[in-house]
Amino acid sequence: MFEPMEDLKQLYDAIVDGNAGRAKTLTTGAVAEGMNPQEILNKYMIPAMDEVGRRFEINEYFVPELLIAARAMKGALEILKPLLTATGAKPVGKVAIGTVKGDLHDIGKNLVSAMLEGGGFEIIDLGVDVTPDKFVAAVKDRGADVVALSALLTTTMPSMKTTIEGLKEAGVRDRVKVIIGGAPVTQKYADEIGADGYADNASAAVALTRGLVSK
Amino acid sequence: MYSRERVNAALRHQRCDRVPFDFALGFSPYQLDQFRIRTGQDDPDAYFGADVRGTGISPTRKLNQYTAYLDPSTLPEHAYVDEWGQGHIPTVSHDQYHSHLEGYVYPMLALHTREEALGYPLPDIEAEYRYESARRAIARYHDQGLAVMAGMACTIFEQAWYLRSMELLLMDFVDNPEFATALLDRITQKRVIQAERFAELKPDVIMFGDDVATQRGMLMSVPMWRRWLKPRLARILAAARHVNQDVLIFYHTDGNATAIVPDLIEIGVQILNPIQPECMDPFALKRMYGKQLSFWGTLGTQSTLPFGTPDDVRRDIQLRCQIVGKDGGLLIAPTHMVEPEVPWENLVAFVEAVKQYGQYK
Ligand code: B12
Repeated sequence: MFEPMEDLKQLYDAIVDGNAGRAKTLTTGAVAEGMNPQEILNKYMIPAMDEVGRRFEINEYFVPELLIAARAMKGALEILKPLLTATGAKPVGKVAIGTVKGDLHDIGKNLVSAMLEGGGFEIIDLGVDVTPDKFVAAVKDRGADVVALSALLTTTMPSMKTTIEGLKEAGVRDRVKVIIGGAPVTQKYADEIGADGYADNASAAVALTRGLVSK
Repeated sequence: MYSRERVNAALRHQRCDRVPFDFALGFSPYQLDQFRIRTGQDDPDAYFGADVRGTGISPTRKLNQYTAYLDPSTLPEHAYVDEWGQGHIPTVSHDQYHSHLEGYVYPMLALHTREEALGYPLPDIEAEYRYESARRAIARYHDQGLAVMAGMACTIFEQAWYLRSMELLLMDFVDNPEFATALLDRITQKRVIQAERFAELKPDVIMFGDDVATQRGMLMSVPMWRRWLKPRLARILAAARHVNQDVLIFYHTDGNATAIVPDLIEIGVQILNPIQPECMDPFALKRMYGKQLSFWGTLGTQSTLPFGTPDDVRRDIQLRCQIVGKDGGLLIAPTHMVEPEVPWENLVAFVEAVKQYGQYK
């Protein structure tokens, strides 16, 4: 007999352990049993990714463990997504994320985006070397609530400032929260350029974004 | 005192006249242009009197065919493929300021099995003919009294992920160990021969390295690093040492790699680079490991060099010379390439301050 609680506890473990195959099988099973997809997501999958983030912050997990957990989460989420859309479930928020103009470092940006997705956010990934107008378009045309900017170079940090200016000029700055991060970026710099938040790692980025959208 | 003696003495904690310096990865193209306009000269190392010059292997004459791995028709017009089969896409969308920035295309993304890892063609970096120009360069620089560093950074991990992508390789470490083992072993075999060849040429320093850390700490856990990278690096370093008892072993990793410093010392690393001061404390490292290890770098390219005043630069240099350079063990350099936003005045202040505060009595 199918034991929803038992099996879903295993789904939680499969994600924390980064076992994509198992995560997918268990999700498919749960859906077939008629479990509510929103509940699977909120009660098991998102908490699993929160646990992964917690372990990352206390240096129990490193980038490889984060990557495999995120891959397991993604696999399971793929199964749930059509069902969630069909039931009209809304994501916690929509984040347009990208590495700013001139910069091509994307490993950190991808991790932040994976963790945010694991945290229940809808992600619009604009990629690398993203010009301000693309962020503006993501807000105007696709309804992003949060703009997340990554820069790994002192040379490209100023592009964060110009992106915020671009949002102002387009008249959409008040509609969104802007968060920034990447190796040379600091809270001080975030304050200077008028960003709404800064985090130094992917797990803290999730907590930060949650705090901002709930305001 | 000649640069060569100075560098060799300082990095062995022996007496010399002053703290040596160099420009690490050199000037970005924009900075080089600015330098030329300003000084009418071509070579910042010669102009400022840097103590070290670099050398490396010459281009291959047996280029492999990589079209089966990286379909040329999928690459933009201005992309190029290097001798390892990795694609490079320079940023062209912007100004000259960003001209040195490029994106990568990884040729081994679609591979999965050990056999596929074994079948991928690798370049002839170990072939003897590729070391002739380095031999001549070393002789020429030594004649000029300069120290020479032979470069073979991106030794294992980085070279492997330049082919596989960092994300996939890190995941392979967890769930496709056969693939990762085959790839790393093949690269290591070539690096062992390369290390021997360089060691035979008697440069003053051989540069090894792999970026294994981020600003917050290790990219992978220490046990994972010990399993995958430490033993292979140890083999390569031992090969160099076996051929040449005197050559100095230099290891580069970006980010905060404090956690593996004792392991690096254990396998024969004598010089650590670049010690990004924004995330790794050169003063604490000196206290803890200053007897066994020398430090090369320490001038922050995310902080003081681009954003400080010339006085900030002088203060940083003074502190480093006094504390990190105490009884030798320091070569001051920017922690990475001199990027376009670094003010000229700060570069001048850097060099003047080393010459002023770096004097040993
Ligand atoms: C890997 C790496 C590369 C790779 C990038 C591959 C890729 N696809 O991304 C390659 C080799 C291509 C590369 C190239 C270059 N690099 Co590089 N690179 C690094 C390195 C070693 C690690 C970066 C990384 O991937 N870390 C892993 C991830 C997981 O960590 P992360 O990026 O820090 O992200 C975390 C947090 O910062 C945060 N975060 C990141 N983004 C965001 C966004 C938001 C919104 C939030 C909230 C949080 C957040 O969360 C992430 C996850 O926890 C750093 C060293 C360092 N100290 O960081 C240098 C470093 C960033 N590079 C540097 C340089 C100079 C370069 C080059 C210019 C070198 C050159 N001359 O060619 C080029 C430029 C390429 C370009 N156009 O962008 C310098 C920059 C110095 C400076 N002056 O700013 C660094 C700091 C190295 C050093 N020793 O100084 N690099």
